[in-house]
Amino acid sequence: MMASVVANGNRDGQSLVLKGVDPETCMIVFKNHWAQVVKILEKHDPLRSSSALPSLSVINLTASSSGSSRFGPIPGDEASAVQNYVEHMLFLLMEEESGQAGAMGPILEFVVMENVMERLFVWSLRREFTDDMKLEQLKMYEMLVGQARQPLLHHKPILRPLMMLLSSCSSTTAPAVEAELVLLLNQLCYVLAKDPSILELFFHTSEDQGATNFLIFSLLIPFIHREGTVGQQARDALLLIMSLSAENERVAKHIAENTFFCPVLATGLSGLYSSLPTKLDVPNEEWHCLHKEDWLQMPSLIQFLNSLEFCNAVIQVAHPDIRDQLVSYIYNGFLVPVLAPALHKLTLEEVMTTTAYLDLFLRSVTEPALLQTFLSFILLHRHENVHILDTLVSRINTPFQLGIVSLALFRTLIGLYCEDVMLQLVLRYLIPCNHMMLSQRRVVRERDCYSASAAKILALTPSCCSPDRSPPPLRQLDSILFSKGGETPDNSGNTEEKKSFSEENDGSGNSCTIGSEIYLDVSYLHYLYDARLSISSCIRACQVWSAPYDGEDPPPEKYQPGVLEEPGLTSRQPQMALKKAQRPFALQAGSCVPPGTDPLPVNQLELEWDDSYDACPVQTADASAERGPPQPPPAEPPKHIQEMRRTARMLVKGSYIEENDFQDDVMVYDLIAKKDSGDVERTGKPSGSQTEETKPGSAEVPLKNGLNLTVPSPAMVDNSSNSLDAKANGQTDCNANLQNTTAVELGDDLLAQYEELIRTLDHEAGGKPVKADGEVKKPITPVEVVVVEEDEMDFASFSAETPEPEKLHSPFGTINRFRSGSATKNNSLPFTGPFISVLLSRLENMLSNSLHVNLLLTGILAQLAAYPQPLLRSFLLNTNLVFQPTVRSLYQVLAIVKNQIEELAASKKDFTELITAAQHWLMAREPSFIETDKSGGSSGSNHQEGGRILKNSPPPKPKAISLERTEVFATVLFTEFLKELAAIAQEHSILSYIPMEE
Amino acid sequence: LASSVRWSYSLQRSDNEEQSGHGEQRASPARMPFGRKQLPPIPKNAAPITKPSPLGTPMQSANGTHASYGPFYLEYSLLAEFTLVIKQKLPGIYVQPSHKSALMWFGVIFIRHGLYQDGVFKFTVYIPDNYPDGECPKLVFDIPVFHPLVDPVSGELDVRRAFTKWRRNHNHIWQVLMYARTVFYKINTTDPLNPEAAVLYEKDVQLFKSKVVDSVKLCNSHLFDQPKIDDPYAISFSPWNPAVHEEAKERMFTYKRRPEDHHKVSQASGLSWVKPGSTQPFSKEDNPPQS
Repeated sequence: MMASVVANGNRDGQSLVLKGVDPETCMIVFKNHWAQVVKILEKHDPLRSSSALPSLSVINLTASSSGSSRFGPIPGDEASAVQNYVEHMLFLLMEEESGQAGAMGPILEFVVMENVMERLFVWSLRREFTDDMKLEQLKMYEMLVGQARQPLLHHKPILRPLMMLLSSCSSTTAPAVEAELVLLLNQLCYVLAKDPSILELFFHTSEDQGATNFLIFSLLIPFIHREGTVGQQARDALLLIMSLSAENERVAKHIAENTFFCPVLATGLSGLYSSLPTKLDVPNEEWHCLHKEDWLQMPSLIQFLNSLEFCNAVIQVAHPDIRDQLVSYIYNGFLVPVLAPALHKLTLEEVMTTTAYLDLFLRSVTEPALLQTFLSFILLHRHENVHILDTLVSRINTPFQLGIVSLALFRTLIGLYCEDVMLQLVLRYLIPCNHMMLSQRRVVRERDCYSASAAKILALTPSCCSPDRSPPPLRQLDSILFSKGGETPDNSGNTEEKKSFSEENDGSGNSCTIGSEIYLDVSYLHYLYDARLSISSCIRACQVWSAPYDGEDPPPEKYQPGVLEEPGLTSRQPQMALKKAQRPFALQAGSCVPPGTDPLPVNQLELEWDDSYDACPVQTADASAERGPPQPPPAEPPKHIQEMRRTARMLVKGSYIEENDFQDDVMVYDLIAKKDSGDVERTGKPSGSQTEETKPGSAEVPLKNGLNLTVPSPAMVDNSSNSLDAKANGQTDCNANLQNTTAVELGDDLLAQYEELIRTLDHEAGGKPVKADGEVKKPITPVEVVVVEEDEMDFASFSAETPEPEKLHSPFGTINRFRSGSATKNNSLPFTGPFISVLLSRLENMLSNSLHVNLLLTGILAQLAAYPQPLLRSFLLNTNLVFQPTVRSLYQVLAIVKNQIEELAASKKDFTELITAAQHWLMAREPSFIETDKSGGSSGSNHQEGGRILKNSPPPKPKAISLERTEVFATVLFTEFLKELAAIAQEHSILSYIPMEE
Repeated sequence: LASSVRWSYSLQRSDNEEQSGHGEQRASPARMPFGRKQLPPIPKNAAPITKPSPLGTPMQSANGTHASYGPFYLEYSLLAEFTLVIKQKLPGIYVQPSHKSALMWFGVIFIRHGLYQDGVFKFTVYIPDNYPDGECPKLVFDIPVFHPLVDPVSGELDVRRAFTKWRRNHNHIWQVLMYARTVFYKINTTDPLNPEAAVLYEKDVQLFKSKVVDSVKLCNSHLFDQPKIDDPYAISFSPWNPAVHEEAKERMFTYKRRPEDHHKVSQASGLSWVKPGSTQPFSKEDNPPQS
């Protein structure tokens, strides 16, 4: 075969030979060869036209690609003769240098004049246009494009046959041809990137041929999500075009308006997502997020991440129009219709898995615009009328893996240093300053000059964990000489320094009069160091924030929480893509549907759109009651939204036909449409596919003790109340929802299992102060999850009257109802927000939390404490601030835990011994922790945990201690957490007041 | 052929952070005026001392905190004081905590006009170790300046008259430094530590003035002496040496501009789409991507 010889063969040898040959000789050889070729070509040309090509319409590409030869067979010897000549000619062309001042070399000029390439292409069509033939031609061009010494593509007689070839290859399915096609396209893109002036030609040539505008781009699209080298090359090539688009309005416009690029990308994400495992095999209880070594084992996840990273890269380099469109499609084509339902699937495991995916995605995305899309989805989107964020927050309080994974997700979110996130999670509740006494507002900005707060926090150290008490290997007390002259040193290591110092006394009797040698907790130095790092990076990151959040800016009085609930907010994505038109409808458009009813009979074939357009936005009961006056009728969706929706629906139904010139190229269109509908078919009906996969109403939750627990779905729970009479109702309510036969069969066991669970939990909760008891049980008792359809009364009463709202938790999240309520209530009740309260209530249960939960929990609180905003800092760390009686502070909770520990220590004889064992165990764990962190490299926050546990210690010989002794581990962790917080408080007193340098 | 443009731009946020964090930490070990050096380094291989803790009872100070953290509180209180000094930008006064102890600060004061014009007086501040609950810090001039309030032998300035009772939260070390500056502009002769100076000032100002001039000359003639206390952070002067000082001067003058744009570049990770003045997430109208 010609091409294979070309590709593999004597290329180097040939060029060596040619080096010495003078151009004129080459020209003569070339012409000779061509003359021979022409003879053969003309012999078989039925029209016998001399040089002009028969019009292309005669040579119908589809017909020729069918493989039949119209004009009779061509003898093999003649075919191979042509091949040989062409092979030589190509070498000559490739090796030719361009003429003076960039003029064409003589051979190229001849090629252009004689229309050589086009005639050769037609010749190959004349013969059987098999895959092999295509391969041959593709390789030929690949070589020419890649290696020619002068620009070739500027010349239509070369570009046109190339475009014809590309068109004819578009329908191919042979892997070899695909690979070669993509390789060639990739090369073309490199040429384009280097010399954008060719771009225009690509457009024009396409038009001439009636082919797709910017064919090379359209041809690449089907390979976007492809695995392996082909996909990689295609994506690389597309990225090159994307960066071109940033400079070239025309390319950008074309891609945004005439191609499927963005929808294909976004729906591709949906498609790839749907092939991810819906349940993860969790390796152990400690597991809380997908590390690199986890997802490297999952090809489907790798593929998804590849595509996500590609989106990330496109958004990074592409023209803003493309970026906005892509972001919009990702929001409306992936996040809302696919991820939102996935986050509300029916079983704990599935929800946990989705949460872990979301966490991973957030860690993978780096481009602010894409991150913003994900974040606004989390913060503003409402699924079945509940904000995603609220649902996620409420899940922190779920038992089992879901709670841990949710914590890890929030660790990621907080680690973004994103003002919007922090505003929604915490700050909005602190801005009004209702959580503190009025007289205390000035304290917010006050500086703790003398580490009073740190001292108070450290004073909570349980007596059994006092640094003075630990036995030697664990005690990190060291004699740090706090220089004092004149004292006789007993430590030889320090003698010199002391001596030299005392010698330096100026003789006037003035010396530093510093107390005698004191044993210091050396581990505390590490906490100080870590605190300094995390606070200073946080301060630096927060410089882009809009306000200091210091109790004055934003002003507490002007805070308007109601605005945050604006229903139309989520629509900003489509709006953005369509030139940021003003949104004409009124804010808070109507609240006519009673809460609790499902406003959205979702057509399975429809993409889900912002609720505010499809139905009257639903307000919480108390909100509508509060607002009193009837709301204006919901506005008609803006025209561009309607348009967009229509388009998307057509896309989903596979009936999308692009207007204008795109449809001319039937083959390319067919190809893409096929791919598209394939993708969309899979993803367009998320709800449908879910119900097939999952058993509605049932959730099998393997518990530690091996029993299977079936709990109702989170989605249903969203509509549920917090009935405390759960035990009585549990069975019937659940059964009512268990349409599935399997679940019904389980019915009898169900009650028994619940009871078993409650027993376990009660046991765990035992030994705590009575006051805390109710709260302790609540968050970890799935039985409370009772589905009461359309029961809105409970919400209203909860939100309006419950004095200590933060104590209302259901495992799956009704808290949000309350939150929305409280937010619209002029903040009459002091409330620091569901996130803070859920964290504090889990912290209060520290002694019964598993070690891993506590690590995450304290890690998150430490992350929060490192934020420099005075509102947050004073709330968490200032022990002098006087709060409203109903507001729980971190310090209060810590004090409660300390008391629990003291009681425990007093009642158990071997407690101290156990603590020592746990300390050993934790220290032994330390090095391995750091290792996994390094190899994983994906989680940003692990080092924080790592740094927090007694670094710098000799490898101990751990005495056996069971991890089941959560109270022992919690005690150790508690002590360390106090140090961590104190260190943060101390560093704040310095860092936050230094004018930023370096 | 291999693509030179990879599209795996997934920055590891965490990694970057860590790097930048460490980098920043490393950047300024030597000159850091308010770094963490004040605690003497822990002897590397000194085994933890296992002296039995006093009779098993945890040492608790009066306010119930653990004694083993006491030095940290002191250390940070002093750091806080130091940052306050920086903030005050006292004219003509420079201080630097010593390397050996945070309780000892080296300083120098430049007098720019008045009787003591052109005086450059080095001094040391000694802070009591029960700070801020103890006495007022002491301020001792390296060379006893001829001044009614400066002890002619020890060089100690009478600070206590201005701070009869040192009150935490109200009194700060910068005030002591400020006071040290003031005494050279407003001469006070009541209860002098140097009666001779006081009497001269009252009776024979001309002689007083000439003695002051002598004293200033004496001080300035010792300017290039080795610091009285050998400490890496002691303030020492040396004659202008372009090889040493030119570069430093250059840096000082260019430094002013740099921190700003430096931040612009290195502010790694923060995100905000909140419109200033709004408390609503994603309220920035044009939501341009942050970069």
